[in-house]
Amino acid sequence: MKLVVRDVRAGGDGVLGTPAHAIVAPETLDEAAAALRGAAERGQSVAFLGGGTELGLGYPPRRVDLLLKTTRLARIVEHAPFDLVVEVEAGITLSMLQRALEPHGQRLALDPPHPELATVGGLVATNAFGPRRMRYGGLRDLIVGVSLLRADGVRVRGGGKVVKNVAGFDLPKLAVGSLGTLGMIATATFRLHPLPESATLLRVGGCDAAQVRRIARELLARQFEPAAFTAERTDGGYACAVLFEGFAQGVDDQAERFERLAADLGFATERPDDPGAAGLRDEAIRTRGDVRVRCSAPPAAFDLVERDVLAPLASALDEAAAVCYPAVGAAFLSAYLRDAERAAAAFARARAAVEALGGNLVLLDARDRDFARRVDVYGAVPGSFALMRNLKDRFDPSHRLNAGRFIGGL
Amino acid sequence: METVSLDAVARELAAAVGARHCITEPADLRTYESDGLAGVRVRPLVAVLPASTEEVAACLRVARAHGLPVVPRGSGTGLSGGALPVEGGLLVVLSRMNRILAVDLENRRVRVQPGVINLDVSKAIAPHGYYYAPDPSSQSICSIGGNIAENSGGAHCLKYGFTVNHVVALTVVLADGEVVELGAPASDPLGYDLVGAVVGSEGLVGIVTEAVVRVLRVPELTRTFFATFPSTDEAGACVSAIVAAGIVPAAVEMMDALAMEAIVKATGVVWPLDVGASLLMDVDGTRAEVEQTASAAVAIARRAGALEVRMPEDDAERALMWKGRKSAFAAMGRISPNYYVQDGVIPRSEIGDVLREIAEAGAREGLRVANVFHAGDGNLHPLVLFDARVPGEERRAEAVAGEILRICIRHGGSITGEHGVGSDKAAYMGELFGDADLETMNFVRCAFDPERSFNPGKVFPTPRLCGDVPGPYRAHATETSGAAGRG
Repeated sequence: MKLVVRDVRAGGDGVLGTPAHAIVAPETLDEAAAALRGAAERGQSVAFLGGGTELGLGYPPRRVDLLLKTTRLARIVEHAPFDLVVEVEAGITLSMLQRALEPHGQRLALDPPHPELATVGGLVATNAFGPRRMRYGGLRDLIVGVSLLRADGVRVRGGGKVVKNVAGFDLPKLAVGSLGTLGMIATATFRLHPLPESATLLRVGGCDAAQVRRIARELLARQFEPAAFTAERTDGGYACAVLFEGFAQGVDDQAERFERLAADLGFATERPDDPGAAGLRDEAIRTRGDVRVRCSAPPAAFDLVERDVLAPLASALDEAAAVCYPAVGAAFLSAYLRDAERAAAAFARARAAVEALGGNLVLLDARDRDFARRVDVYGAVPGSFALMRNLKDRFDPSHRLNAGRFIGGL
Repeated sequence: METVSLDAVARELAAAVGARHCITEPADLRTYESDGLAGVRVRPLVAVLPASTEEVAACLRVARAHGLPVVPRGSGTGLSGGALPVEGGLLVVLSRMNRILAVDLENRRVRVQPGVINLDVSKAIAPHGYYYAPDPSSQSICSIGGNIAENSGGAHCLKYGFTVNHVVALTVVLADGEVVELGAPASDPLGYDLVGAVVGSEGLVGIVTEAVVRVLRVPELTRTFFATFPSTDEAGACVSAIVAAGIVPAAVEMMDALAMEAIVKATGVVWPLDVGASLLMDVDGTRAEVEQTASAAVAIARRAGALEVRMPEDDAERALMWKGRKSAFAAMGRISPNYYVQDGVIPRSEIGDVLREIAEAGAREGLRVANVFHAGDGNLHPLVLFDARVPGEERRAEAVAGEILRICIRHGGSITGEHGVGSDKAAYMGELFGDADLETMNFVRCAFDPERSFNPGKVFPTPRLCGDVPGPYRAHATETSGAAGRG
């Protein structure tokens, strides 16, 4: 078996400051399984690494005896274009997958940041999403099957390769957002969507939070079906972008209707040329800064999120920017740290406010260890935490997989 | 298990739910001996009809104290025997918990009790232009709690997803009576997706006593058309061509000649009977888009060999077409004394081949198979027709039904798309999944219900123990600091 093994001294390739003692980059799932079996026999702790785009998420693992890099596990196992389903190995990047699907007029309708680096396994493990979640749903809505390498190296699967399937417990859903703590995501199977025939992006500037909420409400009330609706927070206001995708007739009609809606509300509309990610500009905001935060709250609470979360955080940090997906109820704020104590106090108040709304505030990048310790990455564990711990205990009885990195130290 | 004293159990359960809602008389229990899989009947020791989360919890504590297995039941419309009682066990009937608790349209959420009828959710919000998407054919009588247990689908889940895509938070009572809140009503919850684990768990992990579901805005326009074809081959090719054109219809249903005959005899629809198959299709979305995609789909149907394409003149005719489709199972009585329905799934592109194999499997046993199904997602509903009065015919029907599941597995599909495994298909789980897969699924069950009190004998092909979990547990700082408990 060909394994790339080297000793890593402190720093460098570790996870959140916990050094990795060895790294393997298996070429096949059998090699990955063998590496996990070996780690199980030796009682070693294992962490997983894909494209490394979310290495700042979570608590530092207690130990990393072995860092298993998935990037060479990058095959498309099966693409059934007529059935709009694809099964891929975990290490394939989203861009590679999209490039393979494009000639068939298909895509995975998922648009998180860093598609050229982020691996499918990492995206599943972190439940990553972008603005098109509004129309196509999140990973839990797109995944139809998964195979996991368990802590003991045994490969198991749940779901299947047909979209509609209720046989057995839903392991794919459990894999989504599990941060590599239940098993290594070996392969994932997704439902695909046709590439849209046409896309149009429109922008409306100079809104306040109440107006953003109003636009979101009107989109719903007037039966628009946008692919995405984003609100970019700038100094003192919001710039909204709405993206329509689909067949040309529907896209053109919606774009014209949206211009009329905006005019009714007293806004001018712009149509920038590039309807792609650059046009939406959410990726640039989500991937900058040394403090990155995700706020999840009910869509109807958008103005409260602005007042009690985004505004106070922005004033306690340097160069803050935020992009919100108002229909999804998600907001991403990025900034630079100036005064850790003051920022931590603002963070604690913001978290209390969003928790009171039934939402949560997560620190997405905990690599500044001092700040991360001051605020806690996830905050209080949910009331169902005992069940989550039971799950972890069953899947990984000696807590060796990404040990301690997930919520509540799972 | 120690001998359970019915008197003591009944007394305690009656104290929990009221004597009227605690049923022990054999004659009264008959109603609950089976679900929609009517051929299999088991009488429970006792059935209770609690009215609140607290009453459910109290009943489960009684069951735990006496070592009774527990089976939850909604409306009892399930087709896989998921609500089949366990002999000597407690049946918890959720039908009295039928209130819609809160409607929050700006956040597109509705909070319901589990006994609420599926269609009543849509009815409650229809005046505001919203609806609840999962639409099993039994939606006028099946309950949301049952839908959650089975992860029910329906014709329109092709575009909109299944129950699991529309449930965001749950209140669940565990086997020891503990009440837990899972998920989050209007945001992304932290931690594992426990809602995703509970939806479709077929009553094996707990009893759902409240659910928050996501509701959708009614689309601006829905266009329906009905097309007939010489055979299921052309109809199947039509579905594939529509999908290949980038159209995601809201629903595409196929009926073969035998199913159409039954529907025509049982309902008022006027459909031709000299055809091989038909498709009933909805395209929905914004007006301009639907006008484009509907005419494209009709053109594709004609190119695929449609004999006739019919558009409903008005909403009443459209409703009648769908009523015909949704009455298909009930209509089988017009052409056969009995039927056995399966729910296998296959890759959509293999519909033609699979239907031929199914017909052959029926013919080998001398039985007819009618097909009415969700063609868009390859979810078959073969109805194996038989006459239970003819000695041996029921057994032959079961054999055909089993062979159909094997055909689906051979074609890379699944044994169930929306009805669930239940007691009916548990024996086939070992053919679809390997032992380690099932062991891992059992981890999930054991995390919720280590003593396996809920619904024993369902889903898993052989009894599985939970075993002890080795290894020390270390409390996390947020627990020890008092920020959160382990309870």
